[in-house]
Amino acid sequence: MDSTELRRQRPLGLTDLFGEQAAAYAALERALIEQFERWGYQLVVVPTIGYDQALSTQASPRLNEQLYRFFDRDGHALALRPDMTVPVARLVGTTLYDQPLPLRLYYAGKVFRYEQPQAGQRREFTQVGIELIGAGSAEADAEVTAVAMEALRALGVDTFQINLGEVDFLRGIIDGLELSVEELAMLEQAINRKSRVEIRHALDTLHISGQAGEAIMALPGLCGGLGIIAEARQLTANPAAQRALDHLARVYDLLALDGYADHLILDLGEVRSMDYYTGISFHGYVAGLGFHVLSGGRYDRLVGHFGPSLPAVGFAMSIERSLLVAHTPTVRKLDLVLPACDHPACHRVAALARSLGLRVETELLGRSGAAWAAQALAHGATHAIVRCDGEQCELVEPGGSRTLTLSALLEEVPTWSR
Amino acid sequence: MEPLTFALPKGRLQEEVLTLLAEAGYATDADVGRKLVFGDSSGTLRFIMAKPSDVPTYVEYGAAALGAVGLDVLREGRWDVLEPLGLNVGLCRLSLAGPASWRGRNLRLQPGLRVASKYPRLANEFFQAQGISAEIIYLDGSVELAPSVGLSDLLVDMVQSGRTLAENDLVELQTILPSQAMLIVNRAAHKMQFSRIEEIVSRLSAVVERRKEAQE
Repeated sequence: MDSTELRRQRPLGLTDLFGEQAAAYAALERALIEQFERWGYQLVVVPTIGYDQALSTQASPRLNEQLYRFFDRDGHALALRPDMTVPVARLVGTTLYDQPLPLRLYYAGKVFRYEQPQAGQRREFTQVGIELIGAGSAEADAEVTAVAMEALRALGVDTFQINLGEVDFLRGIIDGLELSVEELAMLEQAINRKSRVEIRHALDTLHISGQAGEAIMALPGLCGGLGIIAEARQLTANPAAQRALDHLARVYDLLALDGYADHLILDLGEVRSMDYYTGISFHGYVAGLGFHVLSGGRYDRLVGHFGPSLPAVGFAMSIERSLLVAHTPTVRKLDLVLPACDHPACHRVAALARSLGLRVETELLGRSGAAWAAQALAHGATHAIVRCDGEQCELVEPGGSRTLTLSALLEEVPTWSR
Repeated sequence: MEPLTFALPKGRLQEEVLTLLAEAGYATDADVGRKLVFGDSSGTLRFIMAKPSDVPTYVEYGAAALGAVGLDVLREGRWDVLEPLGLNVGLCRLSLAGPASWRGRNLRLQPGLRVASKYPRLANEFFQAQGISAEIIYLDGSVELAPSVGLSDLLVDMVQSGRTLAENDLVELQTILPSQAMLIVNRAAHKMQFSRIEEIVSRLSAVVERRKEAQE
């Protein structure tokens, strides 16, 4: 492709938003932020670019492969942030660590991942999410999961589910087996696919047998309601695994207390990124979409990479993916259009309307008259002024046109606000 | 309740998978003929016929909640789906094959090795893991032809009975991946339709187990 062609293109995996899509994008971001603020979370804004060292070494290996990397003029390797959690963890570890705990933080920003665009994934997308830092309790896990539930509800869909796992259960089971990073990744992938064929193969390859082997083979089936915790208890005597089950049961009970039980599926086969997550991990799904719109979990080791060790739990939602199912609000139409006008009265009417929050557009291409007003109304405007001197104003509305005095018009404008 | 969409692979596996489903209680008309969309008699499933390599795409995106596809096809791509059950039909294997003169040769010591395959990713992974440097030549079909016309030295392809290889004077050198038809499930559907999907998986699993026992 030569450069004249490139000039007109977007790089693969990037997209433009406009019209209703852009309006829906902004509305969804706003709705989520309002939700987070209702739970006491406060905004943090972090840089888009960071040192590669800060962004990559602490990110999960999968994200690490997907970094956009480049150099600054001093030769330092930089990267675009692939998620928001690591920059926020850096901010907390280096700056906010001694503030009263727990910290409740939210963010909204673009992230960048060099990945194959598929299944609603883009190379640049917006993550909106929260981090709850300094609380390691089941209550903290339940709070973050509950906020995630409300984030899903904000999409305006009736049916949604959160799939809640607890990686410490598996970690307890394999404790003492001394698996290498590659071996663990192999096992993790098989479990994550719920593929009994592949798990059996991995267990044979890694020479895992006995109680641990049986417990691992059972993981794909340990998915469902509270009953699976009792089932899982029979599979292992490992104290860490038992504690993980106690913890998960407690989180479930707390969420049930808030009425979320119907939207919750426990899944001990949910074991993604075990090098990253240290407790619960979850994905959020909504009806009509084949892939998750949010994901989160607990990562108690992350903040410690940047400063004092602090427990942390959070989740992030992808706005772009969510827009595939969110109920799109229609773009708000204009309330008033005015012709180009040198008379102060026109300017008074426009200023008043705008101060009331109405949407007002002034004609810029020199058009006026009945035909122009009719066209404006056809495009959804609710009021058009076709003529206004200091005393009389002619107003066109879908119902017809009328003439009224300037003072009557100024009195009427506030009644237009919704 | 809306039926769940099940993506079936057109061709070799189609009949075997439909028979399995019928045994599990999801029978279809004897003559589905050339229909691309049809339902089962219980109203639980709606089948769509897809090219085998497209089945995982339908399932990953959630256009189909479930699907059946060969493990070879599944591993050649990068799909994020659940694979709860091996259906134990469509048994075959991905193998390295070539003229008999290649038997016993150390491939690591064969620089410039050329291998034809319809499975470039799996072939490449295999050679990388073995420390063999090979040029993979992608072909979409009739891979057995490649060595005889001098396009490649060896080939990587699916082998069922080995007859096609024999007919082309080729022998199997090494098995790369044993394959079978897999039941695959969309991740979101598994949660959103949890009990319905679990029911289907467990019924199919029972049939697979029953058949295995009958074989023994």
